[in-house]
Amino acid sequence: MRLSLMLLITHGKRQRKLGGGKPQRLNILRRVVTGLVRHERIESTYAQCDEAQFYAEKLIDYAKLGNTNAGAMRIADYWITEKDLIPKLFETLAPRFTNYDGRYCRLHRLPVTTQNTRDMAVLEYKGNPYPSLRPTPKNHPNSIANILVEGLRQDYEKKMEIDLKEESAT
Amino acid sequence: MSRLKALIRPSVRCIVHRRYCSTERVTNALVTEYRNDIFEEEKRRQQGMVRRLEKIEVVHVGPNDPGTFIMNKNLSTPYHCAMHISENYTKYSALALVNGEPWDMWRPLTEDCELSFMRFRDEDPEEANKAYWRSCALILGAVMETAFKDTFYVQLSRAPELTIIKGMFVYDVDLGLKNWTATKDNLRSLSLSATTMKSKDMPFERLEVDPSVALRLFQHNQYKQREVEERVRGGRVTLYRMGKFIDIHDGPMMSKSSLVSMFTVAGIHELPGGLYRVQAVALPHDFYLHNSVWNRLVKRASVPLVGDLSTAGAEESLRETRSLAA
Repeated sequence: MRLSLMLLITHGKRQRKLGGGKPQRLNILRRVVTGLVRHERIESTYAQCDEAQFYAEKLIDYAKLGNTNAGAMRIADYWITEKDLIPKLFETLAPRFTNYDGRYCRLHRLPVTTQNTRDMAVLEYKGNPYPSLRPTPKNHPNSIANILVEGLRQDYEKKMEIDLKEESAT
Repeated sequence: MSRLKALIRPSVRCIVHRRYCSTERVTNALVTEYRNDIFEEEKRRQQGMVRRLEKIEVVHVGPNDPGTFIMNKNLSTPYHCAMHISENYTKYSALALVNGEPWDMWRPLTEDCELSFMRFRDEDPEEANKAYWRSCALILGAVMETAFKDTFYVQLSRAPELTIIKGMFVYDVDLGLKNWTATKDNLRSLSLSATTMKSKDMPFERLEVDPSVALRLFQHNQYKQREVEERVRGGRVTLYRMGKFIDIHDGPMMSKSSLVSMFTVAGIHELPGGLYRVQAVALPHDFYLHNSVWNRLVKRASVPLVGDLSTAGAEESLRETRSLAA
């Protein structure tokens, strides 16, 4: 029907409506971000985690400016509701991400079951002390398949060397 | 029991077979039967020597499933211990480590020891890999012995020990042919023969025998007789049997032929001495390589390897240096 299609079209708006109203949305996200700064890994609804990720990463970018920067302190003061975490942000979290390539947060979706149909997710700061949620892929460098392929690779490299020498000779 | 008496004149090659009471030519089938009879006789004799059943304590020191087993001395093998733990150990263990030393899965345990099992996907599967490469060479030998028609008598010469990074294992064979090249269909049928051996799931039985028994067993193969003399260790020689195929080798072999997943005979080429060198490559179970990668590996293995690769002497010196260093 024409009406429902218009409801789906957002016309470029990227924000979700959480909590019903702009200040309520930011309050919810402040709580999520504070929880993230305290625990470094939190579980919440996918919508809240996804929205909070942007603000959590922006917070780190501001915190990298240092706690002497007035703007950074103002941002941190607004976003972190439990004030004992502000030193943690500037002294622990910001230095961790000084030479970071890519995003500071990781978002994992949790399985939706018949008992729990709510779309839940886990949001975590990278470099947290907990064991990883995803299994690390095991490499088998000494397995037969890898040794055989290594042999292929060595042959290829030798061939490349010979080709280069021939080229430089001519 | 059948008895083949080979006449001394090699040109005549007549054999009197007591069971059939007729003169027959030497064929691989008859020779295999003869070898199996001797193997069985020796195996029964050795088992008969175990008069009293003594018990030994075997401690499983693997990462999972701790336990102590009370097993029979000189009768129980690591495979039997694996049967007591679970089916996965029997199906997927390639090699056993007894007090840290590589040990065949079907070799009887002789004293109280610590046992653990090695798989191809372990952190350090070096010994399992070497055992696998050796066993695949053995399978290749079995394939070559059974592949040809009765009119051709195939004598296996030697399986030189190659490193895995070379990308192939090899068996030198005396086919009694000249200027024979294998077609693609030939190679494919040989590979298929190896695959049927894998699906038959045959264990690699081990038997330590006196050199005289081994010489009698390999009566119809001069190359193997020479190898018997080279491979004497502590006055004994080790024989391995897979199904009906018997061969001589020192090193530990993997537990069963079903641990192979892909086996391709890559090429056969003639050596200067008249022998033929069969080259092949195989992949263990639980490893998957894409068709394109496998074809490249087969192509690499089909490049003829020329030269005297007899490493029986070199291996010995390696072992000596290792034992000196240890």
